Amino acid sequence: MGQTKYFRGLDELHNTPQFQEAANNEFPKELTVDEFLGKANLNEASTSRRDFLKFLGFSVTAATVAACETPVIKSIPYVNKPEEITPGVANYYASTYYDGQDFANIMVKTREGRPIYIKGNKNFGITAGATGPRVNASVLGLYDSARLQSPIKAGKAATWKEVDAEIAAKLEQAKGKGKIRILTSTVISPSLQTAINGLVAKFNTGEGTSAHITADAYSYSAIRKANEKTFGVGLIPTYNFGAAKTIVGIGADFMGSWLMYNEYVSAYAKNRKADSDMSRHFQYESLMTVTGASADVRIATKPSEEGQVALAIYNHLAAKAGVSAAGVVSNDILTKTKKAAEELWATKGSSLVVAGSNNLHVQLVVNHINQLLGNYGTTIDLSKPVNLFNGNDEAAYKLVEEMKAGEVSALIVYGLNPAYHFFNAADFKAGLAKVGLKISLADFKDETASLCDYVCPDNHFLESWNDFMPKAGEYALAQPTISRLFNTRQAGQSFLVWSGDSRNYLDLIKETAQANVFPKVGGMAFGDFWNNSLHNGAVSFADAQASPAFVGSEADLNLASTVIEKSAKNVSGTFEVLLYNSTAIGVGNQANNPWLQELPDPITKITWDNYLTVSPVDAQALGFNTYIGEDNPASVAEISINGKTMKLPVYVLPGQKAGTMAVALGYGRGENGEEIGKAAFQTGTYGGYLTDDNGKKQAIGVNVFPLAKLTEGCVAYSVEGVQVKNTGETFALACTQTQHTVMGRDSIVRETTLGTYRKGNREDFNPVHAIAYHEGGESIKKPVDEIDLWGEHPVENIGHRWGMAIDLNSCHGCGACIIACHAENNVPVVGKDEIRRSRDMHWLRLDRYFSSAEEPKKLNGEDFSYDLMEIPEENPKVVFMPMMCQHCNHAPCETVCPVAATTHSNEGINQMTYNRCIGTRYCANNCPYKVRRFNWFNYQEYRKFTEVNPAQDDLGRMVLNPDVTVRARGVMEKCSLCVGRIQAGKLEAKKKGEPIQDGAIQTACAEACPTHAITFGDINDKGSVVAGLTKSNRAYRVIEEVGTQTNMYYMVKVRNNSEKEA
Amino acid sequence: MTTEKIIYGMYDDEEVLKSAAKSLVSKGVKVSDVYSPFPIHGIDPIIGVRPTRLGDMAFIYGLFGMTMALIGMRYFMIIDWPMNIGGKPNFSLLENLPSFIPVTFEFTVLCACHGMAITYMFRNKTLPGMPATNPDPRTTDDKFVIELQTTDNGSFSADQLAEMLRETPVVEITEKVYTVQEEI
Amino acid sequence: MVKEAAIREPLILGNKSYGDITTDVITPIMNKAPKAWYVLISIAAIIAVWGLGCITYLIGTGIGTWGLNKTVGWAWDITNFVWWVGIGHAGTLISAVLLLFRQKWRMAINRSAEAMTIFAVMMAAVFPGIHMGRIWLAYFVFPVPNQFGSLWVNFNSPLLWDVFAISTYFSVSLVFWYIGLIPDFATIRDKVTDPVRKKIYSLLSFGWSGRAKHWNRFEEVSLVLAGMATPLVFSVHSIVSMDFATSVIPGWHTTIFPPYFVSGAVFSGFAMVQTLLLIMRKVMKLENYVTIKHIEYMNIVIIVTGSIVGVAYITELFISWYSGVEYESYAFINRFSGPYWWSYWSMMTCNVISPQLFWVKKWRRNLSFTFVMSIVVNIGMWFERFVIIVTSIHRDYLPSSWTMFYPTWVDIGVFVGTIGIFFTLFLLFARFFPVLALNEIKSILKSSGEEFKNKADNHHH
Repeated sequence: MGQTKYFRGLDELHNTPQFQEAANNEFPKELTVDEFLGKANLNEASTSRRDFLKFLGFSVTAATVAACETPVIKSIPYVNKPEEITPGVANYYASTYYDGQDFANIMVKTREGRPIYIKGNKNFGITAGATGPRVNASVLGLYDSARLQSPIKAGKAATWKEVDAEIAAKLEQAKGKGKIRILTSTVISPSLQTAINGLVAKFNTGEGTSAHITADAYSYSAIRKANEKTFGVGLIPTYNFGAAKTIVGIGADFMGSWLMYNEYVSAYAKNRKADSDMSRHFQYESLMTVTGASADVRIATKPSEEGQVALAIYNHLAAKAGVSAAGVVSNDILTKTKKAAEELWATKGSSLVVAGSNNLHVQLVVNHINQLLGNYGTTIDLSKPVNLFNGNDEAAYKLVEEMKAGEVSALIVYGLNPAYHFFNAADFKAGLAKVGLKISLADFKDETASLCDYVCPDNHFLESWNDFMPKAGEYALAQPTISRLFNTRQAGQSFLVWSGDSRNYLDLIKETAQANVFPKVGGMAFGDFWNNSLHNGAVSFADAQASPAFVGSEADLNLASTVIEKSAKNVSGTFEVLLYNSTAIGVGNQANNPWLQELPDPITKITWDNYLTVSPVDAQALGFNTYIGEDNPASVAEISINGKTMKLPVYVLPGQKAGTMAVALGYGRGENGEEIGKAAFQTGTYGGYLTDDNGKKQAIGVNVFPLAKLTEGCVAYSVEGVQVKNTGETFALACTQTQHTVMGRDSIVRETTLGTYRKGNREDFNPVHAIAYHEGGESIKKPVDEIDLWGEHPVENIGHRWGMAIDLNSCHGCGACIIACHAENNVPVVGKDEIRRSRDMHWLRLDRYFSSAEEPKKLNGEDFSYDLMEIPEENPKVVFMPMMCQHCNHAPCETVCPVAATTHSNEGINQMTYNRCIGTRYCANNCPYKVRRFNWFNYQEYRKFTEVNPAQDDLGRMVLNPDVTVRARGVMEKCSLCVGRIQAGKLEAKKKGEPIQDGAIQTACAEACPTHAITFGDINDKGSVVAGLTKSNRAYRVIEEVGTQTNMYYMVKVRNNSEKEA
Repeated sequence: MTTEKIIYGMYDDEEVLKSAAKSLVSKGVKVSDVYSPFPIHGIDPIIGVRPTRLGDMAFIYGLFGMTMALIGMRYFMIIDWPMNIGGKPNFSLLENLPSFIPVTFEFTVLCACHGMAITYMFRNKTLPGMPATNPDPRTTDDKFVIELQTTDNGSFSADQLAEMLRETPVVEITEKVYTVQEEI
Repeated sequence: MVKEAAIREPLILGNKSYGDITTDVITPIMNKAPKAWYVLISIAAIIAVWGLGCITYLIGTGIGTWGLNKTVGWAWDITNFVWWVGIGHAGTLISAVLLLFRQKWRMAINRSAEAMTIFAVMMAAVFPGIHMGRIWLAYFVFPVPNQFGSLWVNFNSPLLWDVFAISTYFSVSLVFWYIGLIPDFATIRDKVTDPVRKKIYSLLSFGWSGRAKHWNRFEEVSLVLAGMATPLVFSVHSIVSMDFATSVIPGWHTTIFPPYFVSGAVFSGFAMVQTLLLIMRKVMKLENYVTIKHIEYMNIVIIVTGSIVGVAYITELFISWYSGVEYESYAFINRFSGPYWWSYWSMMTCNVISPQLFWVKKWRRNLSFTFVMSIVVNIGMWFERFVIIVTSIHRDYLPSSWTMFYPTWVDIGVFVGTIGIFFTLFLLFARFFPVLALNEIKSILKSSGEEFKNKADNHHH
């Protein structure tokens, strides 16, 4: 029986060769891409040059035509989503900020992988969540398009490969030729130090041939030197302002700029609460600083007198302690210091005296005072020395001399800008020309880098790994929150590479941690330790250091006293000029940061400039313009000291000690047109840069570092014998507040003394506004908030009622809140000219009021003059008042808007509907608090703002907070109470299915405040902190009598004074 | 098919015209119309023009406007989307009324005026592009004309009417002949 | 027919017949315009174009081109607005109120006064428009159904009341004016020979034929419109004043504003009428119709309203002191002694002192003096608005936000520009429209004409 054959078609049946072939290629082998695009194929491609040109021509035309329509921007979703990123949800990473001057433990907020906001790390690290404005603003620096985008070789972009190769080679050559020097700012990173040491070791061919020299942009070396003498160790101790009952500051702006001010300020504020026992604070200073403004007693003193003040205090105390006095001091100063000394003595052991002067002898006397008071071990902790500010002024000076002498063959500069920061920058430059190999690791082509052969740009700190040892027993980590934007490389890595160390810098950090930190913490596996520390950002561990014993000698003290006595004499007709760090700009590392440039100075309220502060008395004598306004430019003074002359605009500052003046450092960056950033130069009225006669961009402000000088091994920042003359020229200053005083309007600012407050009678310090009211025939006094013309919309006890309590006692005017608000709410930067026209866009401003001698007359119902009331007294009291939208329940702005663009939410928020706004500005006019801000121009497009507004370039735009609309031209805007955060918080709670916890939602300003002056919360939530505060005796509403029924409460400022001092 | 006549008597003073009209009317003549460069006070009763009711219309238009305004504002502010604006009460029309008064008034006047004006235009048939119907251009300058139509005065012949006009101090008389189709 | 008391001065001089009146008024329209007219209009037009340029730049670039700031949100814009609206009050007041009071002397001036009103209100309307940050969304102020869901306007806002007040006032004045114009257009239509013009005027005259019934309706309508326009006049500036009166700003929050603003408006309105008429009667040779008597009557109105304004100023000052509210009192101390003292005192001199000079009969019948005064008064009234708006808000509650206001070239350009546009329009009106209400003048010829009065006198002896 035959078997049946099944076949697919005749081919198979006959099994033809074609069939066999086909059968073999059932699954044809695909061409690889290379084969496909292989030269062979290309050659046989039919597309000829002609066709190509045809297509090119066509597509170009097509593109042109297409371009006429609005471009379609496709947003592409993640192909595979990174696990930690959820679009629309922010991630926070713990990290650390350190720029050679400021140190802070921070939290970095990122959205879709972009860092957009920085706040303090409240739970870990030494700064306890306190950050200054500079730290908050540093996030903007990441997106500066002027940052170096690749290594630079002889002014041209290069690759790391070649640069490294050449540097390695040239260093080898330099080895023999002369000294190799690495000049850096204070390094507190153990790993970086290791890397640098490695490099030093590599090229060390004998004593001093290669060395690492540290210098600080602003030096505190005198403190270390003094401690060297009195304790045998050149350390900077940890000052505990929180534990001090009596604080005496001698020219030390410890709340605004001195040492680790942002650590001190939060501790200080804790100790200044009116209801707990409040510390007493005496401040002796020439310039009115935020510290002096917060002080209970501020005594204006010349910088040259600071030594004598210290001596005087010492002698007073010595008398009490029965020790021999040192030197003799003028009676005037003795009387000025008597009370301070008495109170110090009374709070012996829990008092604190600090001096700002960078003069060895002054610091020495101060050490003796604190020793006499037994403050070491209580308010001054020697066992926790600070590693910051380790710069050695003499060494730096010596280096410059060596360079001038041509002994230096190679110089590597990192974290410092000597060509700008050094008082002898001119010499440095001269010397630098003689250095064979000049390498800078700066991330900008700054004053120094632009003179170097090689610039090997460091990452921005938000792109970097790093570790820090700010203090003994305090370890902090920095982690990248975004991958490198440009072809930059971390400095530590560069050092490793050049020293031929193959390690990866991150590994080095881990090793260092494992070797130095982990053992002291222990208790877990290293992996866990590492992850923990990374998560927390900082680790504290016991690092037992024996606090050195006091070895100060009479001899030193007497020497000091004699030196101080000599310095006492002052040439008449000349002035003392103090060089200080301004709150916004500091030493100028972020001079290109428009947020900071536009941050008004806490005291003078001037933006975008530095200036000479002059006392009213001297101003009158020299004929300077005392009023600065939109159309009232400042007079220009010419100051000259030993050959150097400078022209500076003059700001007449109440409280400035007569005979003294002050100028902020950190300005005048990019004087020679260095590429240090878009916003770092003066801009014109219609945009573009202001240029001098030879077309060079004009720097903002004047660089006054050259005025400093080296005295007894320390850079002195107060200069004596300065000649000042009025040039008769004028220069426009941009000031956000032109009125000095509050005109005796006590329903705006309320201040009292601790004495009065403690008596507990509210009427004495915080009277309720009551008006005559007719009820049942007879007239009675009724509190304004109980009087209403109509049945109002319910706000009490219904749902949420968001509000704030702002403690005027804690606010010291630093402005961190303003920057935080800037970053959170995409507030536009408008530049100097607009600020001058009083068009600042800050949603939150800090009102500063000087006291006037005329005000008490008004309050006591005596005769007074309003004109005199506009003039502050010679040494005025200062009050800072954060002022933002008060979210009135009876908002005048809402009623007048014709299109209902601003209405009241049922949670008590005065809300602004941008797309409905037609910009009549009626609301702004009718706002009693003048907190509404109008978009006068299209800040995102108009040419006037191209240079200043980061939102005008693609990179800068990355800092914008996607949760907050960027407002259009012609629209009104104002504080929204961070409504975005409130909504987010409500959603969180909803998801958890529980009521919102008090404090779970924080506005940017409340979060940023280092002294917790701003408390945000739900006033209807009886248990909340804010609800409690609004009930307190000190709580009041600004101009309550207008009947706006605000949701913002302020707490009466209390100074620790008895009536008669007040 | 009959031929009808219109006879115009022209005067150079409104007082003269008035007396003439009186005499004509006393003779039982129906004065069809009077053309004048300005209103002749007191002519209406003589030739039997009834007083206009435009004033009453204005009142009605006004009422309409007021109602619309109140209903509208109540709907916008209280019914459709009540909002908390400056804490002002908008729970009921009455509570919110004070802020509504100005707009209510304005809207009332708006409707009254425009309503009346438009009605006036239509009743007069004085609208853009309308042809002028005055018998003589001088009537808008300094001449005054009486119009007599044979249709209105069946009892008189055209010649009789002309004759009666001639008895008055008329300046000139013109006759216009036209034919009317009578539908049978 | 009613004869007027003989002691009243005649309002129409010369022995005029109806025909003469027509020719006097129509000749300028039919003949070539005088040289003076061409000179004036070209100047006005140039300024107008400049103004339009400034407005374009303003709208293109942003409100920032003005000198405003965070504290002073309104300055010249709203000052000009209120100033123009004020000027725009005379016309309707003259034609409406005086009509109700049967003041015959209104007839010579009401036509041009109304024209002035219309143009002034147009200029006024410019400013609320361009002062908006986003003028392209101006339609938001009308309660129109929209795609944003049921999003309506805010009827609590005085600014919205303004929208209704101004638009009503403008349209009603326009209608009132035009209804009066129709018979006169008919007159021109029947006079002109040139076919093109005949076409145009017959179009404008809506086929008016002057039938008895039409005149009867005409008078009714004029009367009723007058009756309604009168409260309208008062309401408009009262509502404008509420922009300020209902606010919380010391110096704005003042209950006497409505009457104070209205009298101020009439004051400035009449001044502007004087300015225009004095030019027009010369250029168009209308001395016989716009007589010294008319000028004098208007000057008397100016004295009265000026004095009311003066009283208002004093009252404000007194109350600010008497109230004992520190912000209120400071606001006024700041007005007369603060940085803007000069504007306050120029307001005082121009508005309070200068009109009192009209008590002297010789002066108030002197044309050149009247002309100067009319301009002085309007300068004063501009300053009044500037003082109220700027000096109140530049220093209000919180001293921290006190600022100054300095105008930019755009501020000035826009203001001057509107004056240019205004005069351009008015000159065109004077050229092509009957500047006197023919039908009305004719109707009073017998009662108030010189010739007829004399006749009457002779009768008596």
